Amino acid sequence: MSLEKELALFAKMKPELLKNYSGKFALIHGESFIGAFDSAENAYAEGVKRFGRESFLVKKISEQEEVYRNQALSLGLMHARI
Amino acid sequence: MPVFNFFHWSKEHGRTLTQTGPLVSVEIGVPAALKQHLGEKGLAIPSAVSGFALVDTGAFATAVDHSVFDSLGVPHIDEIPTFTPHGPGTSKVYPANVSFPGMNVADMPMERVVGSTLKWKTPEDQEIIMLMGRDLLQYFLLVYNGPSSDVTLCY
Repeated sequence: MSLEKELALFAKMKPELLKNYSGKFALIHGESFIGAFDSAENAYAEGVKRFGRESFLVKKISEQEEVYRNQALSLGLMHARI
Repeated sequence: MPVFNFFHWSKEHGRTLTQTGPLVSVEIGVPAALKQHLGEKGLAIPSAVSGFALVDTGAFATAVDHSVFDSLGVPHIDEIPTFTPHGPGTSKVYPANVSFPGMNVADMPMERVVGSTLKWKTPEDQEIIMLMGRDLLQYFLLVYNGPSSDVTLCY
């Protein structure tokens, strides 16, 4: 399952979301913006209530995109033997 | 504050903490909201997946092997940029319910866990399914005792 549509809508709406809901979590399903919530937990609960196991996006509305870095995992050192 | 000691020792290999890293038993389950939804619909709630978490003070975010979410039937809720040995890419983000049975810690809701390919087995056949990052460690006191090959965690 892909979140392609949802991520595209988020990118399109980002300036408006930043202006009105900075720091909150957006809930997007398909090409519909459902709302902005104070926590990821509340956004997820609302998403499950409306859409069950269907795909939906819960994304933090912030200027900087969250990036995942794990140095040891990235370098393949998690279970290296020397 | 309850204190739990995890001794890393085996008959075959002796002290194993250096080889395995600090390990804690963990269970990853369906998030509470989805559990409630499935219950209300009369649908089966998948059993939690058991394994070990490797304490990773170098990681901000907790990561769980993708296969865990596949077996729980939990769809991802976001995709974020990531750095891998092959260069930049994207990682899926999932909600999860995390429990540590060895510490009597049950049902810690985590709305944003990074899905990753990280599953492996230690020489003692302990299957690692999670990297426990600082987003979870902020709730614990951790003592790494190299000479005695044990790890102390307080919650």
